[in-house]
Amino acid sequence: MKRMFKSLLLIAACGVLALGLAGCGEKKEEKKAEAPAAAAGPKTIVFASDATYPPMQYVNDQKEIVGFEVDVIKAAAEKAGFKAEFKNVAWDGIFAGLAAGKYDAISSSVSITEERKATMDFSDPIIPIEQMLVVATGEKATDLAGLKGKSIGAQIGTTSYLVVKDVKGFKAIKTYDEVGLAMEDLVKGSIQGVVADSPVAVEYTSKKYADKIKIAATLKSDKVENVGIAVKKGNKEVIDLVNKGLAAIKADGTFDKIKADHKMQ
Amino acid sequence: MRETRTIDVGEGAAIPSKSDWGLFNAWAISFVGALAAIIYLVCFEPTPYKRLLFYLADGVVITFQVTFMSIISACCIGLVVGMGRVSKNKAINLVASTYVEIIRGIPLLVQLFYIYYALGRFLNVHDLAAAVIAMSVCYGAYMGEVFRAGITAIDKGQTEAARSLGFNGKQTMFLVILPQAWRTILPPVGNEFIALLKDTSLVSILAVSDLLRRGREFSSETFLYFETYTLVALVYLVITLLLSKGVSIMEARLSHYVRH
Repeated sequence: MKRMFKSLLLIAACGVLALGLAGCGEKKEEKKAEAPAAAAGPKTIVFASDATYPPMQYVNDQKEIVGFEVDVIKAAAEKAGFKAEFKNVAWDGIFAGLAAGKYDAISSSVSITEERKATMDFSDPIIPIEQMLVVATGEKATDLAGLKGKSIGAQIGTTSYLVVKDVKGFKAIKTYDEVGLAMEDLVKGSIQGVVADSPVAVEYTSKKYADKIKIAATLKSDKVENVGIAVKKGNKEVIDLVNKGLAAIKADGTFDKIKADHKMQ
Repeated sequence: MRETRTIDVGEGAAIPSKSDWGLFNAWAISFVGALAAIIYLVCFEPTPYKRLLFYLADGVVITFQVTFMSIISACCIGLVVGMGRVSKNKAINLVASTYVEIIRGIPLLVQLFYIYYALGRFLNVHDLAAAVIAMSVCYGAYMGEVFRAGITAIDKGQTEAARSLGFNGKQTMFLVILPQAWRTILPPVGNEFIALLKDTSLVSILAVSDLLRRGREFSSETFLYFETYTLVALVYLVITLLLSKGVSIMEARLSHYVRH
């Protein structure tokens, strides 16, 4: 009797699972169908932002998401006539959320790369950045090669990680969920180098851990790396609005003012 | 008055019943299904899956390392704590009980952060070491409770008999009580092993390159979230099922109590 009950339960579970999967499939199709209609006149655009990235986006004492990129988007929103809403989303999985339609755009210091362009669309570049190598103040190495045999860290899924990923000779390449945790490990001495975007590297080496870590080098690349707003592939409405706003604030000097306010290079 | 003790150890969440050797039981279906799914994906859709499996390989090794080192040290801590909890010495009892209360009251994730990042300020522990320490400290407390339950489940008459035959306290514990208690302890301890194995996925938060971290690295780079997490889940399932089968075999050999 118990056996029979068990097998019945199993069959029931399989049935529920199958129904659930079928349901998921249907939902996706529905969403596809209604997406263009819903996006026809977006008054509010929801931006996903991993607010652990000072000075680009971070959470202040009042638990608000603030930062350079946030201010840029807010100014652009004013000019282009849409409402920008920010949602704090963890970096790891932020692209999956965009693909699943959980928000309209990503404003999280996303570098525009060819690989990312294959799966999503980007706005016009907001600001160019570089990759920087951060080391402890006592470290003598001035480039990645100088850290051979040592451990190096970067945030998971970032262009910084892509820079170190294929470099051979490190003892370990560690990926962190937040760039701050990588810096923390560097200060502690668990790793000997961190590769990060230039604004973040400057922020950490000049403010939080000014006496403990320093910038060892700017990693030269033949391609210019730009930060942009990412949207789901084909979401032209949002991209057009963002681009319109960006162009407007760049034309009338608002952008330069925000840049000066945040002391961005 | 004599009574036959049958201790109901229950059917653990993930441990298959030892009498379930038939072809169609939950364990066999899940195991064969998971294994078949992995083989199918790797053989017939090698484009992401084969690369993915190779990418995950060293993560599996790290997961195993963390699991087994943690299991061994958690067992040692658990044994000490369990004996401390039944100790008649008030001070030892108090220390062991306080340890259990404190550790059980803090989530494992917080403990991991605490040992690696908070205590890291004072002593620099390697990430793998921090992971093993946190896991074994946490599971040591859980296992301490299991050991205590197992020890107290042994009839008091056993102690009395041993003591009247001239065994001292230590001999009674190690030669009479523990060998019997082990049989009661094993099934719930096996459950803890499996829970521990699954909880090792939390150590990826310390940037330990375990199975989950490798999966996250792969998916954040290729954006193949569905493929990655499907395979990661299947690999975890296979490992967990293997471990649970191992525990159930061990249990079948050692246990003499009736299971329902």
